[in-house]
Amino acid sequence: MSAGGSDGTADRPADLAADGECPEQAGSSLPAAELPRKRKGDVEERSGTHGQQSVDFQMDDDLSRSEGEDQQVKMKCFREPHRQIEKRRRDKMNTLIDELAAMIPACQPMARKLDKLTVLRKAVQHLKALKVGTGSAFTDTTSKPSILSHDDLKHLLLRAVDGFLLVVSCDRAKILFISESVSKILNLSRLELTGQSLFDFIHPKDINKVKEQLSSSEYPRQCLIDAATGVQVQVDAPARPPLLSTGARRSFFCRLKHSRVVGKQDKHFLPCTSKKKDSSRYCTLHCTGYMRSCPSSQLDSECDGEMESSDLSCLVTVCRLLTPVSHQPPKELTIRPSEFVTRWAIDGKFTFVEQQATTIIGYLPQEVLGTSCYEYFHQDDLLHLADKHRQVLRSKEKIETRCYKFKTKYGSYVSLQSQWFSFTNPWTKEVEFIVSSNQVISRGPGHTKDEEAGNSKALQEDTKQIPIIPGLSSGLGTMIYAGSIGTQIANELMDSYRMNSSPSSGACSPFGPAQEKCPVVSPLTSTSASSREEASGSSSQSQCDSRTAAGASSATSESLAAVSRININPIQGETSQLDLDLVPGLSSFSSDEAAMAVIMSLLETDVNMGQSGDFEDLHWPF
Amino acid sequence: MKADKEKRRMISRDAARRRRRVESEVFAELSRLLPLQQSVQDHLDKPSVIRLTLSYIRMHTLLKGITGKKAEASHAVKCEQVMESGEEWRGCDRGRDDEEKKTDDVEASEETNMFLRILEGFLIVLSTEGDMIYLSDNVSKYMGLTQTELMGHNIFEFTHPCDHEEIRNNLRLTAEVWCGAKRDFVMRIKGALTHRGRSSNLKSATWKVLHCQGRAKVCVAPSSVSCLLLTCQPLPLSHTLLSTHTFTSQHSMDMRFTYCDQRITLLLGYSTEELLGRSIYDLCHTLDTNCLTKNHLNLCLKSQSVSGQYRMLVRGGGYVWVESHSAVIPSVRPSKSRPGAHQPLCILCVTYVLSGVEEPSLQLSLDQTVHRYLR
Repeated sequence: MSAGGSDGTADRPADLAADGECPEQAGSSLPAAELPRKRKGDVEERSGTHGQQSVDFQMDDDLSRSEGEDQQVKMKCFREPHRQIEKRRRDKMNTLIDELAAMIPACQPMARKLDKLTVLRKAVQHLKALKVGTGSAFTDTTSKPSILSHDDLKHLLLRAVDGFLLVVSCDRAKILFISESVSKILNLSRLELTGQSLFDFIHPKDINKVKEQLSSSEYPRQCLIDAATGVQVQVDAPARPPLLSTGARRSFFCRLKHSRVVGKQDKHFLPCTSKKKDSSRYCTLHCTGYMRSCPSSQLDSECDGEMESSDLSCLVTVCRLLTPVSHQPPKELTIRPSEFVTRWAIDGKFTFVEQQATTIIGYLPQEVLGTSCYEYFHQDDLLHLADKHRQVLRSKEKIETRCYKFKTKYGSYVSLQSQWFSFTNPWTKEVEFIVSSNQVISRGPGHTKDEEAGNSKALQEDTKQIPIIPGLSSGLGTMIYAGSIGTQIANELMDSYRMNSSPSSGACSPFGPAQEKCPVVSPLTSTSASSREEASGSSSQSQCDSRTAAGASSATSESLAAVSRININPIQGETSQLDLDLVPGLSSFSSDEAAMAVIMSLLETDVNMGQSGDFEDLHWPF
Repeated sequence: MKADKEKRRMISRDAARRRRRVESEVFAELSRLLPLQQSVQDHLDKPSVIRLTLSYIRMHTLLKGITGKKAEASHAVKCEQVMESGEEWRGCDRGRDDEEKKTDDVEASEETNMFLRILEGFLIVLSTEGDMIYLSDNVSKYMGLTQTELMGHNIFEFTHPCDHEEIRNNLRLTAEVWCGAKRDFVMRIKGALTHRGRSSNLKSATWKVLHCQGRAKVCVAPSSVSCLLLTCQPLPLSHTLLSTHTFTSQHSMDMRFTYCDQRITLLLGYSTEELLGRSIYDLCHTLDTNCLTKNHLNLCLKSQSVSGQYRMLVRGGGYVWVESHSAVIPSVRPSKSRPGAHQPLCILCVTYVLSGVEEPSLQLSLDQTVHRYLR
């Protein structure tokens, strides 16, 4: 932080040194012995109106001020770190000056680099020129000056937030105020909405929800979550200014109608009167705000009929459009009925089947759920698919299968190609399921009855051969049931997990002492030949480790000491398996980093807890 | 000889003194031109003056791109006329007098203040390098440092090192900026506030979890003004639960249910007992796996998260859209032998149901079918 801290615009040592280096300045190489006065810190003499400024570091007492252009003197008297500090400051100042020059049009076309003073002078001219264009917001001495005018801030907010400010009365949900930005979101103007009832625009199924939010009395029953116990707690409204008391906070989601065409009211909009089926489009908004009592005089003349001059309560909220769901399947998946997604347990049993699969495989989801995918794979593909299955359980990457045949309900086969991806729980680092994204390559010979008969005959012949799949036990003459292939592969994986983790496994606190079971502190390094390590391929990065350590060092030393007691070893664990495209930046974490980060964030996480005052008596582990 | 040298030295010293004086004067003039309160102006050091000047110029250019377009679209001609007469060019869609402009400004000020207050967050404008070009002045309420102390500095100086990569990825302007370029992520920032909301100093700063949402704004010329406009909101830990459309749940760190309040039965059909030990990933639509994973990771690393919308499968068929707000907390359990022992962590979620049950007859997952038979 460089603002504040000293009086006036004191120069830093960097500038003095910079002066000393400019070629046009003389005296940069005076011999040390002839220096008349030594300095007490790097202090610049100002034009006489301000006193001397003192600087951070202490020098010997017999050093006093000098004119400061003697590089060599500095080198002799000052310690090495000081030179680095100076250099840093100098560099920083030079960088700033360069950035400034880049932003000022007048400095642009210059061929050679401009000196500091010229850049500063041009900056002054530029600011003056900008001010000519601006109006009273800045020259007006009565209003508080700010970097941006409020109008500008409003525009920025409009860009950043897809939302609007809304004030509704609590009794009938009359829209008392709505900001202009609503037109961007609902395609309706402010004028059309002000004075209307909000219920006319809410999705019918959300009306009760919103009514509930509005209908609470001034001191409603509040259910807060006590972070200490996770239990809902009833509290009375806290004794805070009634205007924005925590107790009166509201947060809910609702769907509001929006018009298709900008500015024009959809005819579907006519509330209640239209007998047509309501086919309006809705968008979901997150509304957060507070209950507030507004004196009825602020409301418009429509409520003259209400004789009471008592305060009405209203809800003031910011309504924000929810970020559109980015993980929805790309349009192609929904339009072309030739792709579908399924999910299986690690043994290959279907646990989730998308609806559009039916058009491709003939079965309804409930008909295949619970059965093993191997029952539908063609004999010829079993080998290759089992191999891919084994691969995907050990890889962080998407595995692509070759084209293979999948048996449909009618007995015929459809050719598919799939991408498989195993999901690993970020905490336990164990594979929990496999997601399969499947595309149709060709639909095969067809689904007619004649072909079915032909196909089933071919099938009978095929089953005579028993494929040998490496790694799976098969005695002479035993029939390998398709389902068991998957189970066996899964068991292999479970065994490898069991081998690698400590005797009693199970997710538990990273805070546990070393001998307790804890997947986080699993001694992977000790079982150096573990297949898990081999299979994990690329190592997890200790970049974050060192960064976390850096972060830790800025925390209190007690917490560091506490952490070291836990004895978390940096291990080459598997990184979490993610679709990296969708989770930017979270590409490499090992479990100890996660644990470290949780510890750090708990030790250091602030005031979100403290703000509401309910959590002050939380007892931290350390 | 010696006198000669001495004389030369004196001349150079005087010259240097003069240069420094001139420089200080220019700095002072520059700081006076900045639209800041006098008390603030007087206390700025030179690097800060440059930083704030840079911010001011950059914001001006940025806003010209934002508001200028509006003026062009509707009242180009009128603008020119107004400009010629030397009046304020911004918001010049009507030929207004100072009085009107003032009331408009007051209104705008009230609205933006109210907006920021209710939003419970601050606005930040970030350059593609991570420089905090502008922050709304209520930032002091959340970070304990003032607008002028922060403007011009780099965000990487204030955020948790482990979040830097994610922040950098968000700062990058990819091709999709031309189609909206929304940003939504969680990061940890230093907050120099005590529990009671008073400012402390940066040395005893703690990490605060912020939910950042907004969009990228691309400027073609000068391209250095391309930036990210974000609102940053601390994630609250207390939720007022009046709505019947929310339920709370507790999970172990691997996201298996350890507790669920009974509202879930009304909303999703599951009994609270049958959920214990189940993983949330099994209960959700497969296509939302990535969304949940990101949420889970945020929780593991940053201790708080907002999930965004995802689908939870309803018992018996179909699904609902939901959004979860979660935090990691030490779970309190009665400790038998060691009262002062470490406490295991758990995840606390508040889930809001956003939609009705969609596709109720659709059974997508194994869980839905099993329960059908058991009914």
